[in-house]
Amino acid sequence: MGKIVAGIGLSHVPSVGPVVDRKREQDPAWKPLFDAYVPVREWLAKLEPDVAIVVYNDHVAQFTFDQYPTFALGAADRYAIADEGFGTRPLPEVAGHADFSIHLCEELVNQEFDLTVCQEMGVEHGFLVPMNLCFPHGASGWPVKSVPLQVNVVQHPLPTARRCYRLGQALRQAVESYPENLKVVVLGTGGMSHQLQGKRFGFMNEKFDQWFLDELEKDPENLASLSHHKIMEEAGAEAVELIMWLTMRGALSPKAKRVHRHYYAPMTTGMGLITFED
Amino acid sequence: MCAALCSPAERDAFKRDEEAFMSRFSLTEEEKNLIRRRDFKGLIEAGMNIYAMLKIGSATGNSLYRMGAQMRGETYEEFLKTRKISGAV
Repeated sequence: MGKIVAGIGLSHVPSVGPVVDRKREQDPAWKPLFDAYVPVREWLAKLEPDVAIVVYNDHVAQFTFDQYPTFALGAADRYAIADEGFGTRPLPEVAGHADFSIHLCEELVNQEFDLTVCQEMGVEHGFLVPMNLCFPHGASGWPVKSVPLQVNVVQHPLPTARRCYRLGQALRQAVESYPENLKVVVLGTGGMSHQLQGKRFGFMNEKFDQWFLDELEKDPENLASLSHHKIMEEAGAEAVELIMWLTMRGALSPKAKRVHRHYYAPMTTGMGLITFED
Repeated sequence: MCAALCSPAERDAFKRDEEAFMSRFSLTEEEKNLIRRRDFKGLIEAGMNIYAMLKIGSATGNSLYRMGAQMRGETYEEFLKTRKISGAV
């Protein structure tokens, strides 16, 4: 059967993409971030996951405002690298797992999460940066197959934090009912504190971010009660992406143990990292 | 219009003839003026989504941080001085 072996919460800051592409990971300004992923990659190599379910948001590349789904699940064997306005990054095509995705779609719809099912979709930095950080690619491709799970955190009305948490709980049931043996990691991406628009551009709140990391470990139910307004006020408008970390947390069992935790906020975004083993 | 800018050919078309490019979309004169003036603060205040605006930034050579500095009412250099580690760009 399918088994969730780990969950990771992490930021998907777009500037990480060019750093990886230009091999600047050891630059003094970036080294603290990439160093934090060295033990995470070693830990993942020992866990040997087959599939990563990546909970992320598209930034108006694949989905535009004429048609913007609340929840969209990839159901393909391959996903193209999308051009989000800056050119297509030199990355190998992403390998999917259509059979597993279709199973997830059926189970989630049966649990009353009415997804948009995407048999063809491109993925961009919201998906790719977490993959770059956790699962570095080689010439022949990526070390795991992926299932992209896109959440609307861009165009109001957004799903509530609790709805995202419950989606994670439903996702766990869906994974566990897959008939074949499959080890799954769930990545909840985005945030942490940041605001990219208006006079408050560059706003961050480390105190909020550290509190969020504490609560994510100890009392995620409490975080599920947060309103979008509260998150935006305390941590910046774009910090509302953090509701996607709750999908990851909802997919873990109560016995899941936190393994790694890191925080780095050099420019305009609190870049958080937290891992759980289940 | 911004969705179209997710293609190299369309970005080239924008750079070649911005007026012709804008005329293909149902923009108001005021919206066109905000784009002509590279008034990113004004575009956000007019309701533009930041991720859509980033594509205009890319086509006009204005990075996120340059747009951000303008929205804050600062020069790019002034903005960088407010950051902890301004090399992380």
